[in-house]
Amino acid sequence: MISRRTFAALATGVALVPGLALAQGAPAPFDNPGQVDIALVRYLSTGDFFQAYLSGVEKQAAALGVNLQVFDSRQDAALQADMVDQAIALGVDGIIIQHGLTESMQEAAQRAVDAGIKVVAFDVNVENPAIPQVEQSDAALAQLALDQAIADHGTEWVAGFVHVAGIAPLDRRAAVWEAVKTANPGIEEVAMFGTLDNPIANSVANQARSVLSANPNIQVMFAPYDEFAKGVKIAVDEAGMTGQVSIYSADVSTADIQLMREPGSAWKATAATNPAVVGEVSVRTLALLLAGEDPGAQVIVPPTLITQAMLNDADIKNMEELGAKLPAFAHADVAMAPWMTLPPR
Amino acid sequence: MTPPSITDLAIRYGFLVLMAGLIIVFSMLRPAFLSPQSAVFILQSVAITGILALGVTATLVVDGFDLSIGAVATSALMLSAYVMVIWEMGAVAAVVLCLLMGAGVGLINGLLIVKMRVPDLLATLGMMFLLVGLQRIPTQGNSISTGMVLPDGSAAEGTFAPGFLMLGRHRIDFVIEDLVPLSVVFLIVIAVLTWVFLELTRHGRVMYAIGSNAQAAALAGINVGRYRIAAYMISGVMASIGGILLAARLGRGDVASGNNLLLDSVAAALIGFAVLGAARPNAFGTAIGALFVGILLQGLTMLNAPYYTQDFIKGAVLVVALVFTFALSGRVGRARA
Repeated sequence: MISRRTFAALATGVALVPGLALAQGAPAPFDNPGQVDIALVRYLSTGDFFQAYLSGVEKQAAALGVNLQVFDSRQDAALQADMVDQAIALGVDGIIIQHGLTESMQEAAQRAVDAGIKVVAFDVNVENPAIPQVEQSDAALAQLALDQAIADHGTEWVAGFVHVAGIAPLDRRAAVWEAVKTANPGIEEVAMFGTLDNPIANSVANQARSVLSANPNIQVMFAPYDEFAKGVKIAVDEAGMTGQVSIYSADVSTADIQLMREPGSAWKATAATNPAVVGEVSVRTLALLLAGEDPGAQVIVPPTLITQAMLNDADIKNMEELGAKLPAFAHADVAMAPWMTLPPR
Repeated sequence: MTPPSITDLAIRYGFLVLMAGLIIVFSMLRPAFLSPQSAVFILQSVAITGILALGVTATLVVDGFDLSIGAVATSALMLSAYVMVIWEMGAVAAVVLCLLMGAGVGLINGLLIVKMRVPDLLATLGMMFLLVGLQRIPTQGNSISTGMVLPDGSAAEGTFAPGFLMLGRHRIDFVIEDLVPLSVVFLIVIAVLTWVFLELTRHGRVMYAIGSNAQAAALAGINVGRYRIAAYMISGVMASIGGILLAARLGRGDVASGNNLLLDSVAAALIGFAVLGAARPNAFGTAIGALFVGILLQGLTMLNAPYYTQDFIKGAVLVVALVFTFALSGRVGRARA
């Protein structure tokens, strides 16, 4: 991750000298961004993805020169709604709602809109036409990874699928898997398993070991969440089946890059959006709204396919190098305006 | 002497019979279930929770409870990763520091409970939250892995030492080549040592005496406080061993709360009450309890049962085990735990 300390220093500097980091001719209220207050109201915060998302939000807010306040409800849906009310009471200009439950957030989001506050939602549908949705396209993620599996193995293979039903992004990824199976009858799913027991990788490894010993003919494991893929890889290595099973997944982290690059690693490819970029896009979408421009009802951050070969060829060791060497991963050209300052790379 | 009644037999051997029945059913449905690899794998899947459960057993014996074990285990996971990846020290340093951390946490738990008179559940609950937060402070909530960018902008160069990874990954040749993982050896050794300590040594019997009546034990001249502190230290050290094995298997410092580790290991220890009709915490029962849960989960996964049915069945087994312990055995068990 980019140094938080450097960033904090940068943010303070920007706050002290309002307008310093500004491009010329920004529309109101960004002609005086030191007066703009935005709030990030989070539902999920633990883990690398959410940490990176936050750093993206912080960096883009600093680049625009606006003041950011972070509310973290730690998976408490009722508290998250209260925090929106708290932000309204504080008189912020804009709110980003990061995850949450439709049922609990819908009314709180409406209250914010009624109070004249601009609201953006990331990965939660608050069913409000005034609130644009920022999304990483789960369907595109799954499709990219499965296209690669088909490119590598053709359309006839025995598959294991890791899935936990009832988790919205995972359900959207599973829908693509079902569609791909229907379109390719040669793909035979012999096992479906999965758990979110913490630590997830360890619990999934235990399950995957059982599955591999019950179905030693599995050629492809589709594990559309990196913690799942990590668990499957541990099991494949432990079962001594590294050479014959290929893992395709979604999401990426520094640790994942290391695992994919182990010699002969079974983890062949993953499709991912950069969580930091998603964070930046969330802030830019809110900025467009605040400046009176229309970002559209849906802002989709496109994913990137990352294969083992790409990582090895470019000698990529961590997320920073991934961003530097795969430009598509470092920046998404969505929710942009000429007057916006992007975070320094 | 009258021959034992059916009820007595059911209480004594019911659980073991149930376990044998499960093994038979699963192997008929899935022949792969009965292979030696599968058997070893079940042991491997319960090694970490089993070791934690044996630690909980030590505190249950002295009528205590340790809610912090899951957090101690994940703290050891993060600490070992930090020592090797960021400080670039070796396997020995990582293991020693983790064990010291576990013993230290156990000591603080024990002192809070014995000297400060904080109720055990509350003291260890506080410690659990403290550790879950503390383990994330050094990395600002990020997981630790080689190549991660440090606050000064450089990338972490340290790697998990091969000797350390061996603890979780190396396999010993036993009849079949590469069969038994080291973590299973640790589980068996620790289970035997705990059993010997609790059942055969004077110290173990003293701990049971404290558990059934602390006041009587004190009047008999036993230093009750010291034994209770020792029990929490045993629990802390066991939990840190579990964390070390977890780190060695995962090969990275994973941010995790460890709540599932806590719940699974407490379940194993409680199921253990019912084994052989013991109706009290015991090392053999705990090991069987852990194994029972492991067999169930392995079999159900092979049958493609989703995770929620597995949770449901785990809960049902626990409830049945508690009924065995508290109702059928006729003895009044401890009201809590």
